[in-house]
Amino acid sequence: MTTIIVLAILAALILFAINVYNRIITLENRYQNAWSQIDVQLKRRADLVPNLVETVKGYAAHEKEVFDNVGKARAAMAGAKNVDQSAEAANMMTAALGRLFAISEAYPELKANENFRVLQEELSSIENKIAYARQFYNDAVLQFNTVITTVPGVFFAGPMGKTKHVYLEVPEPDKELPTVSFGAATA
Amino acid sequence: MTTAPKGGSRLPDAITDPVTGRRISLLDWKATNLRASWLLGLVMVVLLGGLGWLIGFAIDPGLAGVVVVIAVVFALGQTAAAYWASDTMVLSVAGARPATQDEHRYLVNVSEAVAIGAGVPTPRVYVIDNPAPNAFATGRDPKHGTIAVTTGLMEVLDRQELEAVVAHEIAHIRNYDIRFMSMLAATVGAIVLLRDVALRSMRFGGVARRRGGGSSGGGRGQIIAIVALVVLLVLAPLLAMALRMAVSRRREYLADATGAYITRNPEGLARALEKLRDFRGPPMQVSEGVAHMFFTNPALKRNANGWFATHPPLQDRINRLRRM
Repeated sequence: MTTIIVLAILAALILFAINVYNRIITLENRYQNAWSQIDVQLKRRADLVPNLVETVKGYAAHEKEVFDNVGKARAAMAGAKNVDQSAEAANMMTAALGRLFAISEAYPELKANENFRVLQEELSSIENKIAYARQFYNDAVLQFNTVITTVPGVFFAGPMGKTKHVYLEVPEPDKELPTVSFGAATA
Repeated sequence: MTTAPKGGSRLPDAITDPVTGRRISLLDWKATNLRASWLLGLVMVVLLGGLGWLIGFAIDPGLAGVVVVIAVVFALGQTAAAYWASDTMVLSVAGARPATQDEHRYLVNVSEAVAIGAGVPTPRVYVIDNPAPNAFATGRDPKHGTIAVTTGLMEVLDRQELEAVVAHEIAHIRNYDIRFMSMLAATVGAIVLLRDVALRSMRFGGVARRRGGGSSGGGRGQIIAIVALVVLLVLAPLLAMALRMAVSRRREYLADATGAYITRNPEGLARALEKLRDFRGPPMQVSEGVAHMFFTNPALKRNANGWFATHPPLQDRINRLRRM
């Protein structure tokens, strides 16, 4: 009889432990997967940028500084080795594109260009998707951090080698560009 | 199973229940829906089997067994249809066609973005050519999630407002409201259908047969069965419909709250609802069977606030969002 009770308690404890363990792993996978969502959008944006730059150059070739900034952001994206560097490069790119779209306001012919309009819609919606993906990522990180710092997860986090993960910082697009309105590009 | 993490006021998977004001976890809500869906399937089989037995017994005790089998098979068929085919059915009834990347780039982009924010696969996107602004979601789980939007909705709403409506629909998908509501609709529909069949068969077959058969064995039992049947057949459909509509209204509040959470923008949804409230064009013509699925009830004039309303009053939804 005693053996059965002991075995039952043991079994219940093991099931409980499996449950908590799985929850931690699930949440960890969720935020890692959330990062890959951001990454997909960043790559799509990087693919569209050369096309955009070519189109804009056709009308505003002398805005050299803007193209330089976009180029620098692309190089930073390509050279990024971890999540933090990617996120930083992505913020650079957002700022550079915001500036580019702001400048395009001054060129009515460029704004009338069909190719430019499609690119503008695509890029601003990618910007939007990045914002949503970043929000979901932070949500997922919050859930993960909450579980590994509260009972019972906190007892498992140490042995499993899990520590609190950092949130992605939301960029402030107008930090360096005080006077320019961004319109749809950063909405 | 640990539920949503405790503490903190902006947890990603908990919202304030718009009806009771308590914090409820969206995980709980989803689990409730999934459990309730199974339960409804079971209730439907038991209920229809039981009613079938009563009907059979009332007509002729010897027939009871046969009618039960027919009723149970019918119930299972209805359940399966509600589970597997409700999405194709509702899309074709509403006259929806798939959105294309070229023609509806904007809508597709908005839907993709909101789906990313909600953490669900991008739903299939459909368009309904209708000037009245409205939308609905269907699909038994997030993998089969589908949203449909009228051309009128895209015309009157700006981007933020469209995002808000899409987020409301995606909330229905993410929380398995659609599976649950279509099971509920099928159950209620079956009860109503059964009433019609029973009334007709009693009028034409049962009564005549009883007159001929005289008062042989089981006569008193048969009378009790008939009385029980009449009560059940008159009351059950009314109760079932009232229940279904109460559940439907609550789901709308919850989807509003979740949608506002996904976009982090209750004001966008409130503005969208205002525009729909103030829309003065001709209303959408949709059959009553699918009216409950829409973002706002397409046939708003009829019974907008009563027990049988599918949606809460628009102004109430707007006020709740503004208070969030």
